[in-house]
Amino acid sequence: MCKSLGRWLAVNAVIAGLAVAAAGLPPAHAADAAADAAVDAQRILAATDAIRNPNHSFGLTTTLIEYHNGHETDTSALQVYAKAEQGSGQYRNLIRFAAPARDVNKLMLKNGNDLWFYDPSSQASVRISPRQRLLGQAANGDVLTVNLSKDYHAELIGEEDAEDGDRVLRHCHHLGLTATSADVTYNRIEMWIDRDNNHPVKSKFYAESGQLLKTAYYRRYQRELEVERPTETVIIDGLDRQWVTIMRYSDYAWREVPESWLQRDYLPRFKPE
Amino acid sequence: MVRSLALASLISIGGWAHATGAPQPPDDDAAALALPGVDSAAAPTHPSASLLVEGAFTEAAQRGAGNADAERLSLDVNDNSRLASTLSFIIGDRLDVDWAGAWNAAQEVNTLKQAFLSWQPQAGLLLDAGRINARQGVAYGYNPTDFFRADALRTVDSLDPNSLRDDRLGTVMLRGEQLWNGGAATALYAPRIPAKPSSAPLSPDFGTTNTEGRWLVSLTQRLTADFSPQWLLFGTDSGMPQAGIDMTALLGSSTVAYLEASIGRSPSLLSQALAQPALAQSLSSLSSLSSLLPPLPYPSSPYPALTPVPQNDSLHTRVSTGFTYSAPNKLSVTVEYEYDGAALGRGGWNALRNGSLEEYGVYRNFVNAQQELPTQQAVFVYASWNDLVIRHLDATAFVRVDLVDRSRLPWSELRYHWSHIDAALRWQDYVGGATTDYGAVPTGQTWQLVLDYYL
Repeated sequence: MCKSLGRWLAVNAVIAGLAVAAAGLPPAHAADAAADAAVDAQRILAATDAIRNPNHSFGLTTTLIEYHNGHETDTSALQVYAKAEQGSGQYRNLIRFAAPARDVNKLMLKNGNDLWFYDPSSQASVRISPRQRLLGQAANGDVLTVNLSKDYHAELIGEEDAEDGDRVLRHCHHLGLTATSADVTYNRIEMWIDRDNNHPVKSKFYAESGQLLKTAYYRRYQRELEVERPTETVIIDGLDRQWVTIMRYSDYAWREVPESWLQRDYLPRFKPE
Repeated sequence: MVRSLALASLISIGGWAHATGAPQPPDDDAAALALPGVDSAAAPTHPSASLLVEGAFTEAAQRGAGNADAERLSLDVNDNSRLASTLSFIIGDRLDVDWAGAWNAAQEVNTLKQAFLSWQPQAGLLLDAGRINARQGVAYGYNPTDFFRADALRTVDSLDPNSLRDDRLGTVMLRGEQLWNGGAATALYAPRIPAKPSSAPLSPDFGTTNTEGRWLVSLTQRLTADFSPQWLLFGTDSGMPQAGIDMTALLGSSTVAYLEASIGRSPSLLSQALAQPALAQSLSSLSSLSSLLPPLPYPSSPYPALTPVPQNDSLHTRVSTGFTYSAPNKLSVTVEYEYDGAALGRGGWNALRNGSLEEYGVYRNFVNAQQELPTQQAVFVYASWNDLVIRHLDATAFVRVDLVDRSRLPWSELRYHWSHIDAALRWQDYVGGATTDYGAVPTGQTWQLVLDYYL
């Protein structure tokens, strides 16, 4: 409803999915399982989920650059606060726009399917649907929902080499994920996971029709919050490959996110740090 | 539906067969991967303030009197500054300068939207003092539980409901809020300030927003994972309390339904209007400040002190309910039904339209100022479409329809975004008979070109 709601949400969706996904990656011990001849794809996926759900809440900054035909067309930045829900392990996110100027201090709350958009100028909190959150081309996001093993059935398609985001060839598990929940954004996902360390290398996301919606590459691994994580993701639009979004994650920090923040009534109370 | 699901499953399985059995097309992502990434040294700052400079050129058709041009320059600032670890200062202010032709005839109107201190002694406890825009409600076009909307508009730059919420005066109040896991309770009190309403350009106009003591308590509690209704109780020094409720529900993955309602004993809007004819005069002066505000050409009575005179109290219900559906192609549509039990029904409205012109004008001015409906039933349809045809081009449109007299207000906007600048073209029209809700406005079609610069 807000003038820029759709566009804002689109970028937000990128963050809510990818930033959180990037925050936790498969551990080295999972690679042992991956090396096993009888690889259990679902177990690999579950191990990835377990790492994505650290015990502590955290925050990070995500910077996005959007390109079309190789030319930069848009930039934005968001502060992300994430907290895992005990039990489900699903992340709840509180996201603040730090750039561009027109969107500064707008907020989005994602607590399961309880999604709210808040515009400080009008003091208006608007509830949005999961699909509305993904409006806009920049909604390359949610390319990895947090707890994939709960929403998808995984199978091992094979072992194959795939180029990572730095164009380095990696030997990978190739997993196929099929949605088991009607609530997920993508009907199918393909994932390439490095056999040696279980780093995600590449993902492809499909609509129910089989249409490729986006391709994501993960790169610039460095140690953040005690784990090697990709700090940059390149997302290529599946419908128009000339649209590319690069997302950079920085300012990782363990950050207390009280439960009382994760509700609509808190949004007008949020104060930027 | 079962057949559809089965078909979808087959498509899904077929899709996998394609993905796994057919040769993978060669990846051609080299160009994308060669694009420059984000320089970590260029990490963005996180300003707490936002500043908007807006210019607008308007051409409006005056019924039977040719066209009239108007220009406007606006400065809008919002800031949320942390003064100490538990203390913040929030301010929102908008300055509008309107003129027609000659700059030296410009009129300024300043709207001090908010200015208050917020103290957070504990994580879940907040105490505020100052002018606060205390907005309630989940509906889009009409908010029965937004109790502090009355008399909040000093000027109207756009009829878009979002702008009406953006550019309004807050109310001076004390507010406390306690938050907990899954819920919140709020209590506030807005005292009467013994000042007269002011049309002085830079006046904070406390005499308009704090005409009498008002209070509000609200409670929000999460009942299920995604259902958290809010209950409200609102009262004034002179009137009966009004109860309200706000609730939303998710229907599938693409639709949000909402219901907002209030109920309480009060005089009818007509009784209230005729008890305070002063508003006619204050709003007549207001109308001259904006070419977009529905002109108020009706004669006004003398300007007595505002003294609410409750008469003929009866139980009135106000409801706003609807849904927002989002299509996969980036189109979102909201359909809202609005009911105001204190407004005039068909018989009363027709009688007023055909009766005293002065009473008609006073009533119209009063309901405008209160942001109420002049008649009992209306429909509001709002659509927005992002990236229409080309990226960064957004289209927004709405129509308000008075279901009692069938008059309507269509409004639309095309907006293109650059990094710091937006350009927008707006169009609106008032359609209906001479004394209908929207047809009474002497302005016909209006075009407006808007340039926004965000600092």
